[in-house]
Amino acid sequence: MTKNIEVGALARVEGEGGLYIGLTDGNVTEVRVDIYEPPRFFEGFLIERFLQEVPDITARICGICPVAYQMSSVYALESILGIKVSPQVRLLRRLMYCGEYIESHALHIYLLQAPDLLGKESALELAAVAPEVVKDALRLKKIGNEILKAIGGRSVHPVNVCVGGFYRWPDVEPLRALLPDLEWGLQAARECVRWAKDLPYPDLEVDYEFVALHHPEEYGVIEGEVWSSKGRKTPVTEFEKAYLETHVRHSNALHSHTVEGTPYLVGPMARLNLNHAQLHPQAKEALKESGVVLPLRNPYKSLIARAIELVHFYAEAIESIRAYRPEGPAHAALKLKAGEGAAATEAPRGLLYHRYAINKQGRIQRARIVPPTAQNLPRIEADLFAMAPKLVKMEHAEATLTAEHLVRSYDPCISCATHFLKLTIEHK
Amino acid sequence: MDIVVIGIGQSLRGDDGAGPEAVRRWQEKFPATASRLRVETAELPGLGLLDLLSGARAAVIVDAVQTEAAAAGTVLRLALDEAAAFASGANSAHGWGAAETLALGRALDPSLAACRIRLVGIVGADFATGAGLSPEVRAALEAAAAAIEEEVKDRL
Repeated sequence: MTKNIEVGALARVEGEGGLYIGLTDGNVTEVRVDIYEPPRFFEGFLIERFLQEVPDITARICGICPVAYQMSSVYALESILGIKVSPQVRLLRRLMYCGEYIESHALHIYLLQAPDLLGKESALELAAVAPEVVKDALRLKKIGNEILKAIGGRSVHPVNVCVGGFYRWPDVEPLRALLPDLEWGLQAARECVRWAKDLPYPDLEVDYEFVALHHPEEYGVIEGEVWSSKGRKTPVTEFEKAYLETHVRHSNALHSHTVEGTPYLVGPMARLNLNHAQLHPQAKEALKESGVVLPLRNPYKSLIARAIELVHFYAEAIESIRAYRPEGPAHAALKLKAGEGAAATEAPRGLLYHRYAINKQGRIQRARIVPPTAQNLPRIEADLFAMAPKLVKMEHAEATLTAEHLVRSYDPCISCATHFLKLTIEHK
Repeated sequence: MDIVVIGIGQSLRGDDGAGPEAVRRWQEKFPATASRLRVETAELPGLGLLDLLSGARAAVIVDAVQTEAAAAGTVLRLALDEAAAFASGANSAHGWGAAETLALGRALDPSLAACRIRLVGIVGADFATGAGLSPEVRAALEAAAAAIEEEVKDRL
């Protein structure tokens, strides 16, 4: 490779971004994931809104992971009001995450990343040679959407979530009716792990700092502490002291780093490496059967982590639906008071942190949202630097594809990530 | 109800909203036909388009199109294989536009491959962010409604 890599618009990622790798004297000297999707100012939209409007507004940040955007906001707001939700509400909330992880992971594994690994340009090309694989992928994904529809009225931007619980209990029957599909999906997810473990992943081992929410009694998705593979254990309320965001010129998404100034990784690999002890027994069995050794450190192999999580969330969804017995009020009453609170939950792409300050009428005074892709952007750029010695030895087309594949393996959600807190123009 | 009429497009991307608008106009003008069919509108269905088509023997998809080949406001009646020549003006997440989704669905599902799909396309002028249709497209809604009616009447 003797010339720069320039990908104007990345395909098969959510949102609009490009990639630039610059060479000087045959060495890679500059790597940029250019995020030109415009910033979306959601934090600004929320100011002076009543707190109960927040989950339905933040849901709009992402069409793929609206549940995580709703839940991080309701948990942050509930922490201000001192609300502790009932066990059935909590179970239903986790069930919504099951639906969201299933649809998001099935899409990424089969339709966004697998074509790269199998040398196909798109899922359409993949469908021509492996129609059964793509058919199963669409069915796996659809079942996730059906869970969300049964709880939230519709599969994208569900509308039932509120601060304190749910507006109404979803009916039991439509959820029970999904059980045969979920049983099929659990077996298909097990098969997915068997298929995923042997795909031809490019070689790359990176010494990541993995960061994920950890909960001692369950696979960390809601509530718990922010754990790092370097031993850092941070209460969610201290998150912004340990992990900082800064603005860089080439990106409309802020970049995150640890307080020491180093990049870190959030997402499925981080969760699996830190929380595998809390996996569902079915997922533990799938992991053992696969022979995959943790920690995974190859970003391309985050597909395997997604496949194992697919097993986990199918298994958890089945148990949750069997245990769902709505009784009593679907949401707690709100007793308004002024204050500030934060929460983090795990979106399919990684840790999602929200902080809000409200006045005594329950209106938002300040909002802060740190999405997973913004946290991973410096890590993606650092990985591309790590790949550089290999890239420069490849033909240009192959190097471009390998670099693009690396970005796609992160499953970046660029639309979610674009936000600015404040733009300062310095006059010197 | 094995015939479905689907209007596709984002109401906040200018003329991209022409599809659902044209379907609503058709429902108002031809309630007798519209009440006998399944009618769907979707802002950005992505792969969900396949679910909307599920179980249909015939379908009419109404969508905005971007082309240099015809003036803004032109109403086109197309067979599915002519659709690839026209690209939707608004990018969809993960690149799943209507044309790619239909190609994928038909490659995988024999019943969808057998479904007779016709497209009513409305050539747009302006796909920038913001609500509202351009005057050319607004003026074309009557013709688009009539085109939908003719397409479905043949199949009832």
